[in-house]
Order: sequence, then structure tokens, then C-alpha cells
Amino acid sequence: MANALRRFGLRGIAFAYLAAILIGPLAVVFYRTFENGFGAAWDALSSPETVNAFKLTLIITAIAVPANTVFGIACALAIVRRKFPGKGIVNAFVDLPLALSPVVVGLSLYLLYGRDGWFGSWLTDHGIQVLFALPSMVIATIFVSLPFVAREVVPTLREIGDEQEQAARTLGASSWQTFRRITLPAIRWAVIYGVILTTARSLGEYGAVAVVSGHLQGQTETATLRVEERYQSLDLAGAYSISIVLALLAVLVLVAMTVIRPKEEAV
Amino acid sequence: MSIVVKGVSKRFNDFPALDDVSLDVETGSLTALLGPSGSGKSTLLRVIAGLEQPDEGEVVIFGDDATGLAPQKRGVGFVFQHYAAFKHMTVYDNIAFGLTIRKRPKAEIESRVGELLELVQLKPFAHRYPAQLSGGQRQRMALARALAVEPKVLLLDEPFGALDARVRAELREWLRRLHEEVHVTTVFVTHDQEEAMQVADRIAVMNKGRIEQVGGPRDLYEHPETEFVMSFVGPVNRVGDTWVRPHDLELSAEPSDGADEAMIERIVHLGFEVRVELTRADGEKLWAQVTRDRCEELELEEGQIVYLRPQHERVFSAAT
Amino acid sequence: MQGETASAALSLGLTTTYLSLIVALPIAALLFESTNIGARGFWDVVSSPEAVAALKLTLWTSIAVALINAVLGTITAWVLVRDSFRGKALVNAVIDLPFALPTIVAGLTLLALYGPRSPVGINVAFTQVAIILAMLFVTLPFVVRTVQPVLLELDQEMEQAAKSLGATELQTFRRVVFPNILPGILSGVALAFAKAVGEFGSLVIITGNLPYKTEVSSVFIFSRIESGDRAGAAAVAVILLAISFALLLAIGVVRHYTTRHDRG
Repeated sequence: MANALRRFGLRGIAFAYLAAILIGPLAVVFYRTFENGFGAAWDALSSPETVNAFKLTLIITAIAVPANTVFGIACALAIVRRKFPGKGIVNAFVDLPLALSPVVVGLSLYLLYGRDGWFGSWLTDHGIQVLFALPSMVIATIFVSLPFVAREVVPTLREIGDEQEQAARTLGASSWQTFRRITLPAIRWAVIYGVILTTARSLGEYGAVAVVSGHLQGQTETATLRVEERYQSLDLAGAYSISIVLALLAVLVLVAMTVIRPKEEAV
Repeated sequence: MSIVVKGVSKRFNDFPALDDVSLDVETGSLTALLGPSGSGKSTLLRVIAGLEQPDEGEVVIFGDDATGLAPQKRGVGFVFQHYAAFKHMTVYDNIAFGLTIRKRPKAEIESRVGELLELVQLKPFAHRYPAQLSGGQRQRMALARALAVEPKVLLLDEPFGALDARVRAELREWLRRLHEEVHVTTVFVTHDQEEAMQVADRIAVMNKGRIEQVGGPRDLYEHPETEFVMSFVGPVNRVGDTWVRPHDLELSAEPSDGADEAMIERIVHLGFEVRVELTRADGEKLWAQVTRDRCEELELEEGQIVYLRPQHERVFSAAT
Repeated sequence: MQGETASAALSLGLTTTYLSLIVALPIAALLFESTNIGARGFWDVVSSPEAVAALKLTLWTSIAVALINAVLGTITAWVLVRDSFRGKALVNAVIDLPFALPTIVAGLTLLALYGPRSPVGINVAFTQVAIILAMLFVTLPFVVRTVQPVLLELDQEMEQAAKSLGATELQTFRRVVFPNILPGILSGVALAFAKAVGEFGSLVIITGNLPYKTEVSSVFIFSRIESGDRAGAAAVAVILLAISFALLLAIGVVRHYTTRHDRG
């Protein structure tokens, strides 16, 4: 009896916590978005600025995710399979984006590529616009979403060990063949999981991009920046409808995460 | 000679895994590297395969210096203790791997893999994944995979170490027969002296990164050159500086010249063999191995006084 | 082993080059900027009343959030592992939502329930409570996701043994379960704390960014950048950077200690 009470008590606490912090607010946003009908939401979403903002978000994601995937795999291989001096430093730098404020990331890039920055005058002389333009937004997004593939692949690589790779080499496979035919298939679910996380982070990044974007409407405004802009312009319906699309993308990511996680454990 | 190892040394940090090791492996032989864990036997095998680089010394395989050669260029087949099965490939694809890498024609791959599946008795399992096989089946698959590319030498690292006793016994017998059929020069690592004696025609006993002695099974058992070999390749009693095997300890009920008095502490019946645990008059404990018939004949009982006469006892020089 | 060396060099070269360009170089630029103004200038900036207020606010709210997470995150992980109820898989999946949801959307979402138009009549917009709510939202997965796997792997026989030796439910938790999940809780709490200290997106909308009242350090930095005060922004940013590194180090130490513990 006491046992059951305690169990239901704990369950109640957990549910209440999730409801207050997570589920409740989301439900209200869904309600508010559609309280004036789907038409209003659709109008807000189909404005050219909003469409452009989503396009920009997708372009940035399409560059950042492949770049971080290749890096993540190479980095995980280096961390797990090689011995080299300065491994601790590499590890620390890979983890840093997890613990660092996105605003600090944005500021660092601002200081590096801005007019008075280290690269600023050289870039200006050569007519290359990095700050307040796509390149700095891409770099900012790469920075904040950098750890995920590497962090997913590292434990899987450790777990599978290097015996299969050694076996392939004794059977005549070159380094590349061993990677393609043995290592990559063994880590594929971890890579896919990491790619999903990287994608989610890239689509949703706000702080770092906000600092380096310059808020040029229709040019350097991503979907998340657009949400803030709509809110500041007192267009709540617009802000909510863009948020709903981003939330739906997040739900898609969740579904993918849930589907893939058990598979990863089965391998 | 198939494999010649000359003066190979290898250190891991401060630990000397191999210390100036030299070994010749005859073509067509089945050689065991026998030793306790940490004796360097696996490291030596991995140096031969090219999976480890020696700090000093050289490895020659069929007359070619292979010391700096990558493992994929040595023409060796390697079988790992934990199989190293490619988990995402079927049994067929595992065995075909080396041939696929070498871009052999499909028909050739098919017939070769078919032969090997037959040889390792895995034909019905060709399209299963390693996770669906038993340990013994996985190890046979790993063997077939190594044999598929027709290696010049076959190297096995504790091939039966992860299997249970019954399967291990079966596979030992099977490896012996396979070797007679395929006749590829084979080196395998084991810590089990019985396994080495049952399977190999030559045994190199290793201890602390060195080879203590190389010889045939009987030779090692009967003419051990060091205390270590004496104690590692069979049971032994040590009394002071003298070493004697338990079955070389003759028991009798009557005192005789040069026989030591001892009391029977315990008698353990193991079927055909009976172990008699003894305490000598001077307090030394030792045991004797007698047959069941001999035990009955002498009417041995616990607490009884018997007389010991050691045969073939050995004294080793202080050098070891 | 030439092929081997080449591929090792390739993966290592790619890793270090990429990390240097994307992470190390910008961080170096930040450190350089903050030293530009000298130690005196640095101290003047970070000891200005507004900066001090922002840092204090950031630290106490983050500590509060870390502590709440330690308790409620652990309870949630416990319920997800040891309890069974319908829809558990769904609840389990929802835990990751704050990770997948853009932070700006999180802020807007919280404002919808706890803002001026709140359907439940609670309005905490532009208050310090709102900061804590937003931080709790974005840090929700951390403790749950670090404690959950440890609980899953925890040998239940250990608990049964404790009970068979006469330990009560509470004693079993305190003396057997808790010491085992503590490292998980600690690293989860450290990650949550790091995330809370640096949080920005979810705070922009719901806190109103009122200096001395709801302006946390990240918002302070942002407003300094907007007003062109690079040195001021950089000085406070360096403090946040130092906190991040210290937390990563702490997590590394916890991890090192636990793996050693595992090896026995």
C-alpha cells in the first residue's frame, strides 16, 4: 500500500513537472495558432519574407550537416583509434559547443570576421562579405552543432573494437576498403542518429546566428530569427505559425530519434 | 622455412612483451605458441601477422623480409580469439570478403566459398548472420574466411579460448584433421598445455617475453630444459631442488632402500586415475598419481604410511 | 604500414584543421579582444553594476535550475525506468523535445501559457520566475538522459540483496541506488548548469531583458554587441567561457572517476 502510494506519488510529480514545463505550453501554442482558423496561419506562413527565412534555414542546414558529419566521423576515428599528443585538447574543443553560450560563439565570430577583426580588413579588401552574410551564419551553425556526430560515433567505435578492422586488413583490405566495408556499416546507426541531432540543432539555432546575421530582412533572416522579428512587430499569429512549423520539424526529429535508438542498441 | 623470426623485441610502454625472440616455423607444420597470459605469445603472433610492429628484429615469410610490410600484403590468414566476425554480413559474405576485395570473378568466388562452407560444415548456414550462430560455428566461419584467400600461413590467436569445454575438444580434433587436409603452415596460440600437445606437432613454450624451449610434445614433456617448461607442460612436485612428475612417484607399502616415508592425507578418485596427497616425514607436501588398479592392489587408505621412490627426478641448474 | 599512416594522418589532419578553424580561432579572437583593454579595463567592465547584476542573476538562477533538475530529473528518470504505465514510450520520447525545439520557440511557447494572455491566469512574463521557467524547459533532458541509462543497467539484485539484509525502501535507495546514480546526476546537473548559464534564445522573448531585473549575462553580451561595445561584450563573454571550460573539466573528472570505479 505504502509502496503503491509512493509509486503514484513519484509518477504524479514527474507528470506534473512535464505538464507544467513542456506539454502545457506547447498545447497552448497549438491552440493559439489555430484559434483564428487555418487561413490566418497559412497567410502568415506564405508571406515572401517567411518563405525566404525557411529557405535560408534549409540552405544553412544543408551545408552545416554534411560538413559536421564528415568531420564527426574523422574526429571519432582519431579520438578512438589513434594515439596522438594533445588528444585531451581535441576532446575539450569538441565538447565546448555543448557547454558554451551561443551568444559567446556569435561574438567570437563577430570579433574574428568583423570590420576590425583579425580577418576583417583582408576580407573587405577582397570584397568578401562574411559577417552579416551567409558564410558567418553557416560557420556559427557549424560551431554550435559540431559535437553531435562525433559524440554519437565515439562510444559505438569503442564498443565494436578494432578486431573486425584488423581481420579485414589481414584479408587484404586497404584502409579505405576497411573503412567503407567494415567500419562505416558498423557505425551507421550512430552516424544517422548524430546527423538527426545535428540537423535539429542547425534548424533551431538562434543565439549565435542572431549575433552574426545583422537582421537584414529577406536576406539574413532565418526561420528562428523570423519568429523573434514577428513577435517584436506584435504579429503574434505570424510568430506562432512559424513556431508551429519549427515544432512540427522538432516532432519529426523526435520520431526519427525514437525509431532509430532501439536499432542502434541492437547492432 | 615458412616463417623466420629473428631477434624480435617489442615493448608496450615499460612492459617488455617480447625480449629478443627468434623462432623458425617449418613449412607445413602445425606449431603451438604455449605460455601463460602475459608471456608474449599473442604479441609474437601479431608481429608475424603485421598487426604489431616490432621495436627490433625481423620477420621473414617464405624468404621475403616482411618486417615493414602492411598486414594486407603478407599473405597471412589470421583467426581472432573473439572471431572478429563482420556482424553486418552473412556467413557467405564473411567468407567471400577477401576474394571480393581482390575482385575475383563472381563464379570463382561462389565455387571457392561453396567449397569452404563444405569444409567447415556450415553449408546450411550460408545466409545467416553471425549473431545467429553458436560460438563454435562462428569460429569455423572465421577459419573459412581466413582460408578463402589461400594464405601462405595461417595464424590463430587462442582460437578456442572463448568456447566451452566440449566444443573446444571437438574443434581441436577438427583443426588437427583440417590441417592434414589443407596442409597450410599453421601457428596457433594457446595457454592450455593439453590443447597444445593434442593439436600441435611442434610447441614453442614462452615465458616472460622469451621462448624457453621448442620441441615436439613428447620431447618437451620428457626432456624439459628449464624449470618453467617442466612445470608448465605437465603436473609436477617440487621438493627442494628436485622436480618429479606425480606419476613418476612410485608408492609401496614396504620400506626399501632410498625410499622416503610419507603419510597419506587424502585420496581423490577420478575414475581411471587416483590422486594421492602425501606429507613426507620432513613435512613436505606432494602428490602421486596412480591407476585405480594400483591403488586397490596397495590397499591405500587415508592416514596410512607409505614409502616413496621417485623415478626420473630432475635437478635444474641455477641458470633458470 | 604506409596506407595506415596515410589514413591516420588524414583523419587527424582533418580533425585538427577543422577544429582550429571553426572553434579555436574564434575563441582566440575573443580572448585577444578581452586582453586588448588590459587587466584594468577588463576589471572595470566586469565590475560595472549592470554586468555584476547580470552575472549574479545568471548564477543564482542557473544554480536554482540545476538543483531543481537534480531532484525532478532524477524522479522523472526513475519513473521512466522503474514504473510502468500506458503511454510510457510517448512520455519517454517527449523528454527530448526541448532539445529538438528551437529555443526561440520554447520562449514563445512558455509566454503563451505563463504570459499576459495566460489561459490559466498565471502571468510571470518579464520576471525572474520566467527566467527559471525558460531555463528549466531547455535543460529538462540533461539529468533525465544521464541518469536513465545508469538506472537501466543497475543490477536489481543489488537492491534485492540490500532488502534481504533488512534495509528499508528508503535505506536501499540512499545507500545502494543513490551512490550508483550519483555520477550520472552530477554530470547531468553540470551539463544543465552550463546550458542554463549560456541560455539566450528562450529568454529573449519571455524576460523582456530589463537591465538589473531580468537581464542575464548572455542577454547583456548581446545588448553590448548591438550597441557596439565590443570590449564590454568580450569581457563578460570570457567569464562565461571560463565557466564552460570549468564545467567540462568537472564532467571529465566525474567521468574519469566513475570509469575507474567500474574497473574496480
